[in-house]
Amino acid sequence: MMRVLPWVYLAAAFVFIYLPVATLVLFSFQDGQLPVPPFNGPSLRWYADVLGDSRLTAALINSVLVAFGASLTAVTLGFLAAYGLARHVMPGSALIRALLIAPLTVSYLIVGLGLLIVLTQMGFGLSLMTAGIGHVVINLPLAFAIIYAAMGAQQQNAERAARDLGANERQVIWLVTVPMLAPAIGAAFFLSMTFSWDEFIISFLLTRFDVTLPVEIWSMLRSGLSPRLNAIGSLVFLVSIAVVLTLELLFFRKRRS
Amino acid sequence: MTAPVTLSGLNHWFGTYQALVDINLNIEAGEYVTLLGPSGCGKTTLLSVLGGFIAPSQGKVMIGGRDMTSVAPAKRPTTTMFQDYALFPHMSLRENVGFGLRMAGVGRAERNRMADAQLALVGLADDAEKRPHELSGGQRQRVALARALAVGPDVLLLDEPLGALDLKLRRAMQDELKAIQRQVGTTFVHVTHDQEEAMAIADRIVVMHAGRIEDQGPPARIYRQPASLFAADFMGEMTHIDVQVTQQGVETPFGCLHLPAPQHGAATLCLRPEAIGTTGAQIDLGPARVRDAAFFGTHIRAHLIPEAAPDLVLIAHLPPGDMPTAGDVLPLSASADTITIFPKEP
Repeated sequence: MMRVLPWVYLAAAFVFIYLPVATLVLFSFQDGQLPVPPFNGPSLRWYADVLGDSRLTAALINSVLVAFGASLTAVTLGFLAAYGLARHVMPGSALIRALLIAPLTVSYLIVGLGLLIVLTQMGFGLSLMTAGIGHVVINLPLAFAIIYAAMGAQQQNAERAARDLGANERQVIWLVTVPMLAPAIGAAFFLSMTFSWDEFIISFLLTRFDVTLPVEIWSMLRSGLSPRLNAIGSLVFLVSIAVVLTLELLFFRKRRS
Repeated sequence: MTAPVTLSGLNHWFGTYQALVDINLNIEAGEYVTLLGPSGCGKTTLLSVLGGFIAPSQGKVMIGGRDMTSVAPAKRPTTTMFQDYALFPHMSLRENVGFGLRMAGVGRAERNRMADAQLALVGLADDAEKRPHELSGGQRQRVALARALAVGPDVLLLDEPLGALDLKLRRAMQDELKAIQRQVGTTFVHVTHDQEEAMAIADRIVVMHAGRIEDQGPPARIYRQPASLFAADFMGEMTHIDVQVTQQGVETPFGCLHLPAPQHGAATLCLRPEAIGTTGAQIDLGPARVRDAAFFGTHIRAHLIPEAAPDLVLIAHLPPGDMPTAGDVLPLSASADTITIFPKEP
């Protein structure tokens, strides 16, 4: 009995975590108008419907653009901040580090509202760009923390050797530091991608005519449940899984070996 | 390529701690110099000053007749072989060795050819495609040497280069380093805390202590006639005997000896273990009782208590032939030319 109990517990935990996702994916294959039991199908009609919808595909492309651009910006800024703080002694560097990480503790709603107020005050029109700015704000602390933690004495010695052999500062960063930190930089980039890809509140507050996928899904939800939504949800989920798997295979696997 | 180095009036402070004190040192072009001393003696700081990683608080660094005191490491005719090798893990050995040439703007074909030649010099010609993590410690060390030599520096700085190797490999690499230095003719400045390594490899040893140069000269001279008590002790084991220097000579427990000595007064007489023997050299130490003895292969290391001075313990290296047992009494003597006498330190 005592042997079985942990397994029962494990099974219950996994059911709790994955049942909603499994249900969502299952009913995306529903051959009918409502994503509720009984299950009829499987059918790919809702996937065809979703992929044929120009508004949805536009939103999907917007999401990819915002996620890619915001992650690239966040990782570049995060790397430069980490390099500067790890390699140079300056007054108040502990405070600067704290200020860089602090936005992690601020809720997305507050970040979004703050940006909305500031940007509209300054006369910026809301667009994908403003949503991207919001995503940089939330992803920069994460990228900085991951890359800063990976900077150690090993790179520092290699950088010193590179300088000794005649490399200038740009060559040191580009030819030595960045390649040596590639696992951390890649991890930061892909994590930023997944966060940005799923993010709703900031995108909702900071976009207007062109919207990202989560915002588009939200507006569809208002017209009621449909297997269409399940199909989109499944696609979003699939993309997230793909990004996480890429991350795992490309960076973490290599590091372990 | 090679160049002489002149350091004059160097002083350096880390905060209030003075790491270098009035360093004046001339190194000839093509010379192999080791900076020898215990941890914290300033030898690594001095090497960093030579390499340009530390700008000295005072003084001047001249390399090949040009003032290099405030020139960045990249612009100096020096390269450094770092203690942990600091190879680039993401590059092949060829790319590692060719890195300096790439920075100097040498084209790919030419620098690959030169890198391969350097790898051949250190015996790694067949491994040019490998990555550093595929190599053993000794091989990484050779790559670091090849990389530092590839740019044709006038002066090569070696920071405890053999520290991470096991003893046998270290001895083999010493011979190899020396042979390579002869071949390329570059000035080598090598930091170490191992006096055997220093003696095996150097044309000249510079002994450092507390930021100062204690002594400098060829290994045999430093070992046999050290300039200071610290240098004498650091170069190898010594028996210290308290003596008085007077008009008559040096008054010791073994009688009055006529030896060259410093000013009159209390002094310390130093005796190397291998200077003490049983075969009747000039200075008679009288009979001594064996306290213990241990076999070391090339010699027997014994602690002996001379009857003339029962509170003294002499350390002697005796021939490995016959092993004395504790309690044996041996007639001891010492050769005069290996004895050094220093004023007693307060």
